[in-house]
Amino acid sequence: MNKDALLLRAEQLVDNTDDLPTIPVVATQVLQLLDKPDVQVEEVADLMLSDQVMTARVMKLLNSPVYKPANEITSLKRALVYLGLRHIRELALTTSFINAFEADAGAFEIASFWEHSFGVGMVSKTIASRIGYPDLEKAYISGIVHDLGVVFLSNFMREDFLAVLATIKDKPIKLVDAEIEQFGTSHCEIGLCMSRKWNFPEAYSDVIAHHHAPEDATIDPVLCAIVNISDLFCSVRELNYGGREWVSFNLSEEPSWEILKKESPSLVDLDVERFCYELDDAIPDVKDLVSSIFSTKE
Amino acid sequence: MAISDKDFELIRDFIYNICGMYFHTTKKYFLESRLSRRIEATRVKTYADYYQLLKSPRGTEELKFLMDEITTNETYFFRNIPQLNALETKLLPEIVETKNKMGFRKLRIWSAASSSGEEAYTMAMILLEKRSTLLKDWIIEIVGTDINETVIAQAKEGIYNAYSVRNVPDIYKRKYIREDNGKFILAPEVKKFVTFNKLNLYDDSKMIFMKSFDFIFCANVLIYFDMASKSKVVQHFYNNLQPYGYFFVGQSESLHGVNDKFKTVHFPGGFTYKK
Repeated sequence: MNKDALLLRAEQLVDNTDDLPTIPVVATQVLQLLDKPDVQVEEVADLMLSDQVMTARVMKLLNSPVYKPANEITSLKRALVYLGLRHIRELALTTSFINAFEADAGAFEIASFWEHSFGVGMVSKTIASRIGYPDLEKAYISGIVHDLGVVFLSNFMREDFLAVLATIKDKPIKLVDAEIEQFGTSHCEIGLCMSRKWNFPEAYSDVIAHHHAPEDATIDPVLCAIVNISDLFCSVRELNYGGREWVSFNLSEEPSWEILKKESPSLVDLDVERFCYELDDAIPDVKDLVSSIFSTKE
Repeated sequence: MAISDKDFELIRDFIYNICGMYFHTTKKYFLESRLSRRIEATRVKTYADYYQLLKSPRGTEELKFLMDEITTNETYFFRNIPQLNALETKLLPEIVETKNKMGFRKLRIWSAASSSGEEAYTMAMILLEKRSTLLKDWIIEIVGTDINETVIAQAKEGIYNAYSVRNVPDIYKRKYIREDNGKFILAPEVKKFVTFNKLNLYDDSKMIFMKSFDFIFCANVLIYFDMASKSKVVQHFYNNLQPYGYFFVGQSESLHGVNDKFKTVHFPGGFTYKK
């Protein structure tokens, strides 16, 4: 199907949804503040501290095994210094995204969605580091937000999305193909529309739109390829939304693998088998992180 | 004595690098208890000392004892479920389609190191279920080979204990396995699909005659081979496959660095090697 038609259909679906979640006021204010050329870390910290849920989640994200600070970071100001101003925007967006889709009202258990998302974030960071990609946090956040469109389908098109999941259950059919069949568009285009509404930085919108076709990416094909490969790996190990999609892939035939090998030729030596086994070992960390982020009332 | 994370990782990496078998962190306590037996037997004091022993010239000998402790020769029906699911969901239909196009309706499967036959017969049951659908009018040949004649005789007999059949799904159990006084007897219709022969995987002159397989299974055997033998045997498997065939190893095994011709194909819960 024509790409413009897919996007047009996605715009219709998103625009026709009245109660689309918005990002919290504080996040918007943080983003505005960060646009000021002479912004100080203290100012941002003070503003963020006015939203306790956001503060708690930022702290949990930072102290997770994925970031691995040498010592536990206990103050938000120190956290922001540790992270650097340029990453606060991303953290504000991530925590907003989490806030917007906290409830378990969708077509699948929201925890399994976040375990997949944070898993893809973690693996993206690992692969980014392996190929010498310059911004590891960007890779991590890209992984976390890549399936933005899936939560829309799960929450706002629940019955039809459940039907899609039922048709592909235990079959080697790609979710995006089944979505296009059912909705005339897929979670990639829908996610793109939402990310534009939320003013996500363009690199993230690019990942959201092209994580299943990194060769079509316009802004950062390498980042899209990182997230694509991480998504594939998580989907065949136990970070697969409870097996909602039966995924199989031949690494040597994946366009994203070609993109990454061009970026870092030594990738051909990667011990892929061991990579999978180590991913299995990291799953409890991802699950702990997700449950700690969502158990927060403090 | 509790093993530290560091010692666990050192010994795990050692085993992985030499044998190609990965111990997941969830198996830490299992490895700890088996290692402690070797520590007692070799009279070293700590896990760190034992690791040094493994690395020393005496290590090659000691590794054999360790492998005996940490592996098991017991096998059972429907052992590697992710592998079987992938085969049924994708790999088998794919090969059937390829061969249908060529008008070549024959499927050949090899359980190399078949032991008492559970793996070969599992395949036979799965394929039998497809005789009226996907595999209608197909010729099915399943070959089991092992170096040990005693287990070949057991495989040919087709009588098993409760442990062996504990994972068999009910639909297969009802159709193909009969219980008699605590013994589980395989139906003749399953047995007739499988032939068992003695074969030493090191024997080049015999290996070259194992031709034209669509699927080859060799689980938990290559871990005992040194790198040179592993390479040679895996090259034979590669040659023995059809151009579109698949080669399966056991759960937690890895052929990384053994053969660079095979492509890894991933599926939920595992991977296989494609020619």
